[in-house]
Amino acid sequence: MTIPALMSSCARAATAEEAAFRIDYPLAAARNTRVVALDDAAEQIVRRACAEPWGQARFYSTTDPGHDLVTMTGEVVPLAGELEDSNTLVMVSTNGENGEAAATIGAACKVRGIMTAGLVVTPGQLTSDALFALRPYARILLVPAEEDDLLELLRATRA
Amino acid sequence: MLRTEINELLTQTGPGTKMGDLFRRYWQPVLLAEELPENDCPPVRVKILSERLIAFRDSEGRYGLMDEFCAHRGVSLWFGRNEEGGLRCPYHGWKYDYTGQAIEVPSEPETSNFCANVKLKSYPMVKRGDVLWAYLGDPEKQPPLPEWEFVTVPEGQAFTSKRLQECNWLQALEGGIDSSHVTFLHSGNLDSDPLFKGSKGNQYNKGDLKPFFEVVDYEGGLLIGARRNAEEGHYYWRVTPWVLPNFTMVPPRGDHPVHGHFWVPIDDENCWAWSFDYHPVRQLTEAEVEAMRAGLGVHSANDESYRPLANKDNDYLMDREAQRRGETYSGIKGIALQDSSLQESMGPIVDRTKERLVATDAGIIKARQKLRKAALALAEHGTEPVGNRPEDQKVRSVAIVLPADQSFVEGIGEAMVARPGVPQTTV
Repeated sequence: MTIPALMSSCARAATAEEAAFRIDYPLAAARNTRVVALDDAAEQIVRRACAEPWGQARFYSTTDPGHDLVTMTGEVVPLAGELEDSNTLVMVSTNGENGEAAATIGAACKVRGIMTAGLVVTPGQLTSDALFALRPYARILLVPAEEDDLLELLRATRA
Repeated sequence: MLRTEINELLTQTGPGTKMGDLFRRYWQPVLLAEELPENDCPPVRVKILSERLIAFRDSEGRYGLMDEFCAHRGVSLWFGRNEEGGLRCPYHGWKYDYTGQAIEVPSEPETSNFCANVKLKSYPMVKRGDVLWAYLGDPEKQPPLPEWEFVTVPEGQAFTSKRLQECNWLQALEGGIDSSHVTFLHSGNLDSDPLFKGSKGNQYNKGDLKPFFEVVDYEGGLLIGARRNAEEGHYYWRVTPWVLPNFTMVPPRGDHPVHGHFWVPIDDENCWAWSFDYHPVRQLTEAEVEAMRAGLGVHSANDESYRPLANKDNDYLMDREAQRRGETYSGIKGIALQDSSLQESMGPIVDRTKERLVATDAGIIKARQKLRKAALALAEHGTEPVGNRPEDQKVRSVAIVLPADQSFVEGIGEAMVARPGVPQTTV
């Protein structure tokens, strides 16, 4: 095996000193995340999250059949339009209501290649209608999620 | 993405740190029993949670774990003589028993009580299974002895190894929680590794490369369920338990032994990756043990100091031809080194302010949250942590096919509970 002359030319470069040479530049824009509440209690959670400072995240509620979303200021907007420049969508459910809307959103995300996540906010409950409402449409589910899981997920993914 | 102060909170485990205090509420594996094979054998240096210690086994078979350095002049007791019920410093002959108590100071008068006032800081160390476990915390808070199934099965049913990993413990742990990398990084091993190949579950794995994940919060930590399509109306689930703070298990495959890991901080830039295999109801075969010793499965081929033979000094023996042929996805041989090569390349403590997590990293995000909350709750309110109780430790990973309309937690039921004499639930 040839021994590289420079440390930075081999795996030994994994030191704190060499880490200082990692190039530093601003990261590209935050994710275009959409957060959709599927019931009244979920809307309260989403509304509180909306009050935090975010990059490009937008927050909505919806009811069946889910072709329209309602912004936190009450404006009704078409789902398709809000997904145009999105790459992640998070659905929040506490009781499994509006399962048809979850299906509509899930299908719309699938055809657009948008990653879907779901928060099943049912404290103490491992099985719930909310779980089965979201399961087919969320690539990843948090079960049971707490309210601050939404904030953690959005912060961690730079929403 | 994680703020700098949170990254520091989670990655620093030395004395006086919040995460260090959390770790000091658990029994941790510190040595393989083979490292202290007989009474009066040579002592072994131990560094754990940024504390330098010396371990020895006295003339009566009692295990001692104490400050590495002699109270007199700070000499390393690794040079000591392990004889006649204690470890003697070779410099001036001071001798300590297994509790760290000085029992001889030859320069003092024979009737002197000087010894009584000299005691090295020491910690309890016990043998459970093939492993020596230490508890570095407050004696009044000492939890029950470890009850992990791999140390409680009958002799001959378990195999344990350890390897040095040259990065912070959290990077290694996060690899154990992150099920989504398996489809890529370890994809070459399912058909070739004798400890994995041949199971029906492997077919499900290969038939569905885009699993769905469910991260379930449970009392001891998290259950991470990876869901793939199985027969019509059914899902194949692989369920990985994580128990706070640093234990993970890998879902089983067929009748192969079950395996898992501990990720134990040595200091903030190094950790021990402990790997175990066991079978709940049968002896391991000679072929299985031979494969494990050779570094297959989740184990690695190491030198005498437990550093992998493939390491950063030789670019982990990268094989670009094997990568091109598809034998290995990354070009590195073996699951353990496939993981550690990448995790070490992130640097000793990765800067998590710069990472770009995605939704499928939710398991990692949730684990960090639980670790942070546990460390802060302990520091600010004295809240007892979970994971150090026997009921948290009697856990198993599970591989199972369930109807599509069933919660996986409900579906696996008692299968995730370790019960003596009951086989693992596997596909």
